[in-house]
This record gives sequence, structure tokens and C-alpha cells, in this order.
Amino acid sequence: MEETPGLSDQYRKASPWPLFIALGVPISELGLLFDIFPVAVGGLLLFCGCVVGMLQEAGYIRMPWSGLAVSAGLLFLAGGGVLYINPQVGVDMTLRAYAILASGLILAMGAGAGRLFVPKSQFPA
Amino acid sequence: MDISAQISLTVLMGVFLVAVATWLTRVENWRSYSPVGGGAIVDRSGYVEEEKPAGIIRWLTTVDHKDIGILYGLYGITAFVVGGLMVTAMRIDLVTSESLLGTATYNGLLTSHGITMLFLFGTPIIAAFANYLIPLIIGADDMAFPRINAIAFWLLPPAALLIWAGFFAKPLGLFGPAQTAWTMYTPLSTGAAGGSADMVGGAGVDMMLLGLHLSGVATTIGAINFIATIFTQRGEKVTWANLDIFSWTVLTQSGLILFAFPLLGSALVMLLADRNFGTTFFLSDGGNMLWQHLFWFFGHPEVYVLVLPMMGIVSYVLPRFAGRQLFGFKFVVYSTLAIGVLSFGVWAHHMFATGMDPRLRTSFMAVSMAIAIPSAVKTFNWITTLWNGRIRLTTPMLFCIGFVSNFIIGGVTGVFLASIPVDLVLHDTYYVVGHFHYVVMGAIAFAGFAGIYYWFPLVTGRMYQASLGKAHFWLTMIGTNITFFAMILLGYGGMPRRYATYLPQFASLHQLATLGALIIFVGQLIWFWNMVSSWFEGKRVESADPWNLADDGVNTIEWQWFGTKLDTQLATDGGEADEVATDGGQVDADDASADADADPETNTE
Amino acid sequence: MEAKIFDRETILDLVVNFIPLGIILFFIGAFAVFAPWGFEPMASGLMFAIMVVMFLALAVLTYLSAKAIAGDEKRATVYAQGQAGLEGAEPIHGHDDAADTSAATDAEVDDTESTSE
Repeated sequence: MEETPGLSDQYRKASPWPLFIALGVPISELGLLFDIFPVAVGGLLLFCGCVVGMLQEAGYIRMPWSGLAVSAGLLFLAGGGVLYINPQVGVDMTLRAYAILASGLILAMGAGAGRLFVPKSQFPA
Repeated sequence: MDISAQISLTVLMGVFLVAVATWLTRVENWRSYSPVGGGAIVDRSGYVEEEKPAGIIRWLTTVDHKDIGILYGLYGITAFVVGGLMVTAMRIDLVTSESLLGTATYNGLLTSHGITMLFLFGTPIIAAFANYLIPLIIGADDMAFPRINAIAFWLLPPAALLIWAGFFAKPLGLFGPAQTAWTMYTPLSTGAAGGSADMVGGAGVDMMLLGLHLSGVATTIGAINFIATIFTQRGEKVTWANLDIFSWTVLTQSGLILFAFPLLGSALVMLLADRNFGTTFFLSDGGNMLWQHLFWFFGHPEVYVLVLPMMGIVSYVLPRFAGRQLFGFKFVVYSTLAIGVLSFGVWAHHMFATGMDPRLRTSFMAVSMAIAIPSAVKTFNWITTLWNGRIRLTTPMLFCIGFVSNFIIGGVTGVFLASIPVDLVLHDTYYVVGHFHYVVMGAIAFAGFAGIYYWFPLVTGRMYQASLGKAHFWLTMIGTNITFFAMILLGYGGMPRRYATYLPQFASLHQLATLGALIIFVGQLIWFWNMVSSWFEGKRVESADPWNLADDGVNTIEWQWFGTKLDTQLATDGGEADEVATDGGQVDADDASADADADPETNTE
Repeated sequence: MEAKIFDRETILDLVVNFIPLGIILFFIGAFAVFAPWGFEPMASGLMFAIMVVMFLALAVLTYLSAKAIAGDEKRATVYAQGQAGLEGAEPIHGHDDAADTSAATDAEVDDTESTSE
């Protein structure tokens, strides 16, 4: 197992990420639209995680942690935005905002944990 | 939602995420980079030569433009089958003046038929041709952004499931399919917020809006990819003057998508927000007009999004069987660009009957008249290409000629509708339905069939059964003309569109239209059988030029690529791939890996 | 350079877009002369704006694309569609309807250029 290279190094024309990025979008949309907290959080985690994974695979970033932190920041912004406009519309959107913030929090924690505990030598220079 | 449901959903979501992460870790194997695996560097350089993994994983993870093209094609055909079955049910419903299925079901089918055919069949089938062929024709290694390309495709299956969600949910007693018609006019579609109290589908409408939004996102990122590919990845010899007509039309189409689809996305989000988040975009004064303006500013370019690449296919395929190059190639290019620009200045001709300012209407009439010219120019170019050509009536050629014929009827009826006084009489009648079906079925679908038959040997390496192809063409051609000509006559008689019931005086023409639809249905059954059986058991193509184009000097570059592929296959796998392929497609991953250097699929020259 | 790109051949190709431009121009003129609903800044302004914007956009795109296409025609060999890079493909020049009669030589390109000036 240790010696085998990953799918996207092994094959030039394959990447596991696009499928899950594409799945993350409708799952998070459904969760947010119908106000289903776990589905919204799960979809956002799937989407953001896989986008970062694909960026790393494509070589735009070396380690995923900063990417995760940036996406967490964007989610905090979005969640804050929803909280801000919440009083101005006729429907209570607090839970939706919390779903966005929660997924941001999980990503931020993941980024922090990764940076602290995963050795840099795990990643190619 | 009660607590236990929330908890079980959370657990379910958690299990799903962990499963995805585990699977990703296994296939990606992040630890592979660790220096512990001593020989890793050597292994990796050996492996990198390989194209793609085997089996189902290959199709789930592929970023190869040809594989994605095939996936788009299968997806588009599936949607075509679904949309076709829907409309067959509707036509059978219309045999009698009373609705057999019930009006709610009829409305649901009507809505889904339109959206399925436009967004889930029309746009993806074009993307199928474009993905597979454009990199080959313009001499690119792949699309500019291969992974984005895969994302654009994989957004579509969830989109389809969402759009059809009401049909799956209804038997479970949850909610029905949307009944808003594909135009989703407010206030009908604003649901409870707008006072229509969701007689038209409830959550089904929300699902459909989400699905539509998703397919719009997919189309937009696909379009960006095509623009980048055609601008930056062209081969050295492929200058703007040499760029083939299909790539030109796809480039123009992508430009249209880039300006039109984000607007649709925004309008859909606004509608969703009105329905669910308490906003009032379309609820205040003028909201209904606002929706129509936003929708048709997208909706009219969408028509050209569908038809331009199909015109490109006809302009590309028709000259091959006329034995000469396309007449006035640059006329076609410039008129394509003209259509692309002008299509953004005609949207309100769908709204002549809304009571908008008459001065405003006239300007849209003027531009609508102007846009008829570039389309007409193309028609004359196709006819002139046939003039004195060495015409060979193969199945793709028959479909090209059928395209031209039907497009003339569809186009001319459209010019009348562009004129305000005529439109005010015919607005919202079957005349309009007949007009645009002549274009979307008679022209767009016909060009799609022409492309499918023409490139069938290129993609599958096998030939379809010619006599079945001819039968398919004639049944489709006759059925199309019976159905949609009857609709034009119904429109003259004043039959309004979208109704599940009608007055007895329209019965015979409606029955005629249904007869035509059934003829089309039989034709498509033959086509489907032909495609499936030929893909698995058709006669193998042994020549790199199955259409004998070189005799007339009209051969093109994608067949040269095909020849290279054939040569390397013959030289390396011999007959072995043959047997594996007939068993069910999980071919040559092993065989190809054995001779990765010589793999034909990487070789675009 | 510009004058060379927009020679007689290219202008002939562009006629296809001059026609819709002419139609729009005709309607702009017609609606300026005949105004059965009177003139009102908002509605009439929008009416003319739509036509004028379309006219300008089409004119600009036609100019840019003609510059790209005709420019590449002068710079590089011209092949029939789908035949660039094809082994044994014979280059043509100019547009296809002229291809039947004209042999593909650079001399001819020069000829047409000089006559057009």
C-alpha cells in the first residue's frame, strides 16, 4: 500500500475529485434550501474539501491546510452575511446561517489540526 | 423536523462523508509521497504513462475529453429517451378532447418534457460532440481545464434527478412534479408566497429550480472551458482562418452561454428566495414583467445556444457527402457571429402580448427581422453546397438534408411570429409550438442524429446498420412533418397551447399530430436498437476512412486520428480486444497499459 | 496594414453582416421619421438604444473577427475546414467559393490586394 502511488499520479487522465465536487454542490444546496442542518453541513464539507483536494492534486497548492483555512474563511463570511440579512427578510434563516458557520468551523479545525499534527514530509515539495 | 430524524440524518451524512474520505484516501493514497516507499520514484515514472484505471473507476474518475464526451452523449440520449416517453404519453393523452391522464399529470409532463429536452438533452448532446471532437479537430491534447470539464459533467446527473424529483416523490405521497411550464412565469411559480398556494407542485418546483440552476452552472463552466480551449489550445496550423465551422459555432455558443446562463442562474435564485426566504423580487409591482424580461433575456439566446452548434455539425457533415467544400465558408462564420450578437437584442418578441410599450416592441421586431438574415444565409449556403455536388445519400446526409428542409419551415414560420401584428394573433397558440418544434425536433435533433451517425464509427470503431438508419430517417422525417404541420394548422384554428383538453373541432388535427408522434416513436425505437446492437456487435470498421471521403478530397483531421488509433490497435492487441469489447466495454485498460507508449489515444496527430 | 486586411475579398465576405446592419439602420431611420405613438424620452430612448446597441455590437464584432480571420489568412496557409494538419491536404486560399477557380498561390493574394487599392 505504501509503495503504490495515488490514482492521479498513476494515471494521467484520471482524477477522483470532480465527481465529489459535483456531488457537494447539490447536497449543500438542498440542505440550505430546505433547512436541513446536517445535509447542508455535509454538502459544504464535501464541496470545500474536494475543491482543496483538487487544487492540491493539480499542484496549485502544496498542502491542503491553507486551502481549507481559506474556504473556512469564505464560509464564515457567507454565514455572517446570512445572519446580517436575516432580520430583513420574512423567513427565519438562523439555522441556515449556523449550518454555514458550523461547516466553516469544522474546516478551520481541520486546517489547524492538519498544520499542527501532520508532518510536512508527507507532501511532495 | 423532529430530533430523531435530525440525528439519523446527521449519522447518515457522517457515514457518507467518512466513506467518501476513505475511498478518496485509498485511490489517492496520500501517503504515497512519503520517502518510506524507497522505490516510489521509479515506480511512479513507470505508472504515469498509463492513461486511466480500469472498470467503473475509469468512468467515475476520467478527465479525458473523449471519455467525458461519451458520458455526455449517453447522458443526453438517456434524457432524450425520458423526454420522448413523456411527450409520447402527452400525445396519447391528447387523442381525446378529455384528458386521459388528468390535467395535473399532463401539466407535470409538459413542464418536464420542455426542460428535459432543452437542458438535459439539447445542451449536453452538443457538449458530447464538442468534447469529443473539438480537441481532435483543432489539434489540442485535451480541453484547457480537464478536471473542470469533469465537474461540469458530473453536475448534470444530480440536476436531472432534481428536475424529475416530483415524478419519483409522487408515488411516495410526498410532492408532485412542477407544473409551471418551462418558462416558470410568476406569479404561478412563486407558490404560496405569491398566492398561487402551490397548486403547481410545491417542493417539486423548488427541486426543479435547483436542478435547473445546477444544469446552468454546469453549462456555464463547460462554456468557459470551450472558450479557453479554442482560444489557447489550437494547433500551430489551425489559425482563425483555418478553424473549422463546428468549432466556430461552439465558440459562439459558449459566448452566448457565458452571457445568458449566469442571468438564468440569478433569476432562479431570486425566484427560490421569493418562494423560501421571504424576499419580494417578483411579488411587487412589475415583478411579473421583471421575471419575463430576465427569463427571456436568457431564453432567447438559449434557442441559439442549441441551434448554432447543430448548424455547425450540418455545415461540417453536409459538404462531406456533397463531395465538395462548404460553399461560402466565411459567410457561415460571419453569420454565426452575427446571430450570436443579435440574439441578445430580440428577447422581448416573446412578450409582444404582455402590454409593454408599443415603441419598445417595434425595436425588438426590427432586430428580430434582422436576425432572420444570417440564418437564411446559412440555408442558401447549404443548398448551394449541394448544387452540382456529388451527393451520396448516406444516413447522416439524409439527416442533414432533412435538417435544411425542416429548418426552412421552422425558420419561415418564425419570421412571421417576429412581426408584431401576426404575433398578436398567433401568440400562445399551437402555431408557436409547431414553429419551434420544427426547429428543435426537425432541425436540432436531426442534426444531432446526423452527427451521431457520421461519427459513430469514429467513437465505437464499428458501423451501424445502414438499412435501419434509413428507416429511422424516413419515419422520423415523415412523423415530424405530420405532427408539427398539424400543430401549425391547429394554431391557425386558434387552439391555445399547453392545454390538456380541447374543443371537439380540434379533434381530427390533434389525432393526426398524435399519429405523427407515434410514427416518430417507432422511428426512435429502431434508432435505439440500431445504436445499441451496432455498438456491441456492429461490423468492425477497418479503414481509417469509412466514408471514402478521400476520394473527393473532403477528408478531415479527426479521421486521421482515428486511422492512427486503428493502426496501433491492429499492431498491438490484434484480435484480443475484440472479444473483450463485446462482453461489455471494460476494455483495453490492461492491454493499453502493456503498450502505454504507443497508446493511440494520446496521439492527436 | 488595416487597408490590406480589408481588401475587396474580405469586404465581400462581410456583406453577409452588412445586410442585418442595414435592416437595423433602416428601422432606426423609419422609426425616427414615423412615430405613430409619439415621442417619449423613456420609451423611445429605450427603443433606439436597443437598436443602436445591437448595431454597434454587431459592427464591432464583425470588425474584430474580420481582422482576426483575414489577418491570419494573410499570415499563414489557409486550409479547408478540418484539414489543417491533415497529411496530404492541399492548402487553399481565400474563401471556398473562390477555391474552385483559383490555384493556391501567394501571388494571387498579392494580385487581389493590389487591385483593391
